[in-house]
Amino acid sequence: MARVASEPLNSRVPDGPIEQLWDRHRFNMKLVNPANKRKFRIIVVGTGLAGGAAAASLGELGYHVQAFCFQDSPRRAHSIAAQGGINAAKNYPNDGDSIWRLFYDTVKGGDYRAREANVYRLAQISNHIIDQCVAQGVPFAREYGGTLANRSFGGAQVSRTFYCRGQTGQQLLLGAYQAMMRQVQQGRVEVFARREMLELIVVDGLARGIVVRNMRTGQLETHTADAVVLCTGGYGNVFYLSTNAKGCNVTAAWRCCRRGAYFANPCYTQIHPTCIPVSGDYQSKLTLMSESLRNDGRVWVPKKAGDTRPPSEIPEDERDYYLERRYPSFGNLVPRDVASRAAKERCDAGYGVGETRLAVYLDFQDAIARDGVETIRRKYGNLFHMYQKITAENPYEVPMRIYPAVHYTMGGLWVDYNLMSTVPGLFVLGEANFSDHGANRLGASALMQGLSDGYFVIPYTIGDHLATASLPPVSEDHPACQEAVQAAEERLSRLMSVSGKRSVDSFHRALGQIMWDRCGMARNRSGLETAISEIRDLREQFWKDVRVPGSAGTLNQSLEKAGRVADFLEFAELLAIDALEREESCGGHFREEHQTEDGEARRNDEQFMHVAAWEFHGVGEEPTLHKEPLNFQYVPPTTRSYK
Amino acid sequence: MSGEHLSLTLRVWRQDGPEDPGRFETYQLDNVNPHMSFLEMLDVLNEQLIESGDEPVEFDHDCREGICGMCSLMINGQAHGPDRATTTCQLHMRRFRSGDTITIEPWRASAFPVVRDLVVDRSAFDRIIQAGGYVSVNTGNAPDGNAIPVPGTVQETAMDAAACIGCGACVAACKNASAMLFVSAKVSQLAMLPQGQAERTRRVLGMVTQMDEEGFGACTNTSECEAACPAEISVSHIARLNREYVRAALTAG
Amino acid sequence: MGSVSRILSLPARLLAQVPGLGPVVQAAATSVGQKILMAVTGFLLCGFLVTHLAGNLLLYAGEERFNHYAESLHSWGVVLNAAEAGLLALFLAHIGLAISTTAMNRQARRHRYAEKDSKQDPTAIPGGASSWMVVTGILIAFFLILHVTDMRLKMNPVVDYEAAVQDGTMSEFRAVHLVLTSYATSWGYVVGLIALGIHLSHGVRSAFQTLGISHPRWNGLLDIAGQLFAWVITLGFLSLVVLAALRSVS
Repeated sequence: MARVASEPLNSRVPDGPIEQLWDRHRFNMKLVNPANKRKFRIIVVGTGLAGGAAAASLGELGYHVQAFCFQDSPRRAHSIAAQGGINAAKNYPNDGDSIWRLFYDTVKGGDYRAREANVYRLAQISNHIIDQCVAQGVPFAREYGGTLANRSFGGAQVSRTFYCRGQTGQQLLLGAYQAMMRQVQQGRVEVFARREMLELIVVDGLARGIVVRNMRTGQLETHTADAVVLCTGGYGNVFYLSTNAKGCNVTAAWRCCRRGAYFANPCYTQIHPTCIPVSGDYQSKLTLMSESLRNDGRVWVPKKAGDTRPPSEIPEDERDYYLERRYPSFGNLVPRDVASRAAKERCDAGYGVGETRLAVYLDFQDAIARDGVETIRRKYGNLFHMYQKITAENPYEVPMRIYPAVHYTMGGLWVDYNLMSTVPGLFVLGEANFSDHGANRLGASALMQGLSDGYFVIPYTIGDHLATASLPPVSEDHPACQEAVQAAEERLSRLMSVSGKRSVDSFHRALGQIMWDRCGMARNRSGLETAISEIRDLREQFWKDVRVPGSAGTLNQSLEKAGRVADFLEFAELLAIDALEREESCGGHFREEHQTEDGEARRNDEQFMHVAAWEFHGVGEEPTLHKEPLNFQYVPPTTRSYK
Repeated sequence: MSGEHLSLTLRVWRQDGPEDPGRFETYQLDNVNPHMSFLEMLDVLNEQLIESGDEPVEFDHDCREGICGMCSLMINGQAHGPDRATTTCQLHMRRFRSGDTITIEPWRASAFPVVRDLVVDRSAFDRIIQAGGYVSVNTGNAPDGNAIPVPGTVQETAMDAAACIGCGACVAACKNASAMLFVSAKVSQLAMLPQGQAERTRRVLGMVTQMDEEGFGACTNTSECEAACPAEISVSHIARLNREYVRAALTAG
Repeated sequence: MGSVSRILSLPARLLAQVPGLGPVVQAAATSVGQKILMAVTGFLLCGFLVTHLAGNLLLYAGEERFNHYAESLHSWGVVLNAAEAGLLALFLAHIGLAISTTAMNRQARRHRYAEKDSKQDPTAIPGGASSWMVVTGILIAFFLILHVTDMRLKMNPVVDYEAAVQDGTMSEFRAVHLVLTSYATSWGYVVGLIALGIHLSHGVRSAFQTLGISHPRWNGLLDIAGQLFAWVITLGFLSLVVLAALRSVS
């Protein structure tokens, strides 16, 4: 299925003790003279936590920044929907946390498939993020006395999560957005909203610009620059139903992959255990209920398969609190991958609840009895309200029904320690890269990574590139620009001219079904092989039978979706190939062939302790696998056990 | 679980572009599952339109969980539909009855020009934030988070204001298309926090001036914005903006 | 329009020349500034209403007391004229600001909704009278013209002042009585005063909010105080119309 490159991929992590790596590296990197900074133009694609933070910070440094987003305002990027919180090793609660422990937890939580040096840097920077956000006026929860409040989250044994009610992502994003708006006002950042990136412009091997479609007018625009920073989030919508926003897509990343950036670990997808179950085939997206609910809620199913009694009529001794049973020390707080698979296992075995039988209960009766309704309302009021709005059931009285859903993708474009991809000058930050979470991401660490990359890593590493690369001016009529525009144009007109019968959404749904059934929470060889051939068939049908109404010269949401789905149809195949190639179970990637007798994931460190970075050669062509070996010098791999 | 399916008549505003005068089109939609969200109902309508060779209705939406602020829609004359504290994406069809006629219009305000169909341009809000809705602190300049204590109660009120999702329902619902609730939410959040003190005067004057330049109306204290706000921002923040404004007018440079 | 607004803004431009007032005048020009000025002028006008009612309640005390009050007021001479000019300026400013903000509001939504419905609880709307502000404001303006014409200028054509002048019984008390017992005029007063009540019932409460006087603990009380003020003033004045009618019957 895949060619394997003989040379290992070099992550360019500097040598030295891990505690000093980042400091030394910052010293060793070249600086750009302050007077020269304004001569450099930097493109930032995506304005979520990573992109917003990067655009603001780079603007503050004096660079000329152009920021692009497909939404109508940069404030709407999907980081806004993150609920739970953001981790930092502040150790304010004095409960034993440290940079080292956050580092250790993240490497272990990632099931030993992350790059140690990156994770350590992330843990170091985590504290600065909190300080920066507080200074911006982000209203983090406080104790009455005025100090910052923390809670424990996502299975951590310490309380290191900072939060703003159930809207932490919103507040952090607005902080970054406001910082960026300040730079707009000062003339250092230009915002281009309602623009979709369709091509990367590569000149002499360096990323030098992008082609975007102005979604209001349909015009294609060429923007050239000295570096391109991609902050375009994850690819969870390849599953159609996910907790991602409807607009989230892989297009920008995939276009870069087609231009030579390697795509790493696409099979690492995170399924979040606490989402509201699917209710019908019209469903357009899934809604996440914050993981913090598991701090007080107890997960259970009936002990008898196919029990259709309402939950209130099932007595205590006929309930199976299966997480507490299987994982006595972590109980309901096991990491996301473990909790999700356990729910799937129960439902597959016939113990599921609700109309579709694809749900488990998350019950707050004990917590309400212990702490009182008011306490629970204060902690989770907005989540309970949201649940009730969607399901018309009152979770104060009836247990919630939850089921896992695709939530986050750990895979992404491969980057080195400087967050630069295999196309020099193309940097990739946040969820769009692969670097910090390994095979599974812990709760409250996505926000941390996005902001770390944007506020505190890229401002240093991009300078090194700009100071060392040869960057002659590139004008819009450079052959590489013209070629990129032409490629984008051809693709759009091809989409418009199929004039078939099926809507774009129907193809997206069909793709999602394939991915969820065969490439979802549990995968196996034959399923993946089937998936690959089904994806190819679907792709062929798409280009024969898709119908994109309207014209390319106006706002046309069908055309936008068509372009994204076309890219998902190419990318999905790579995801399946990667899942097939990785003959082990780790984190979010569970291969049924590789499990212990009691159904736990079994890693294969001998053969798979590496990053799988894929080089694309063309649709239907065999991609080349480049391996970046991983060394665990500081956190020796063990079997992840939460029992 | 699944109740009766609904048959609905939809009166939808269609407008080909900013210059087009626009018109209402009427569509019949049967078999609507009451558990659908309002936007899922529009998805179904669009599938039906595409199938019959028509152009689908363009409408803004993204997160579909009530936080991104992208969805809008005047539904039977009410911003985000009949429910309080709800965005259109959180509105479910069980709220309607079979046989209902539902009128769907875009937000209407001179400062929010229609782009196409139900999609409007809300970039005026970005420009208002640019006029001062931030704390000027460069990355790397921050002291330790706990060096700036903020009493829990103050933080709570600041968070109430900060919860604004920037959807524009306040403007849409206001008889004067005033943006005061939006502007006051940001002014109030930052005026309450110690971090916002340094720029307090400049912020309120700058943001209000920009609000006027964008062509929003004046506030007549009818509180319609508060009722329409999906994030339940209180008009008490408008009062705080007014206080800030008086203070700034009397002390500014 | 340009020259009109230049003339209208003349007082503002003159004020801006006063040392220290420049930035204040500039700040007063925005929508928020104008609303604050409306609230301030509104409150000052309320102050006038209170003193005016207090004086007029002397009608209950009888002809002698009331005439004495009127005479002592008139004895102020130039001071009274200055106060009247000030009052007129307040009214004109209040009305001018109303015209200016209303124009702004009309401009802000040029394309109206085909359908528009409130999301407020219809039983508990503190701002319920707000949509009537323009209408009641116009009614009050007409009422003011009527009131000044028949009380101050004593030129109301439907009131027969002549008879009283002829028989030498003319006094302020007599004039008030004649005006309030004229059928058409008294109905004009009733309508005008009810309009005033409605205007105040939103205006007072709204002015508190516009001046930033708001606190979750006190807002309920402010609501009540606003309504109470509006209707005490209105009923106070209305009672004088009723009083005149009763006196004429007896």
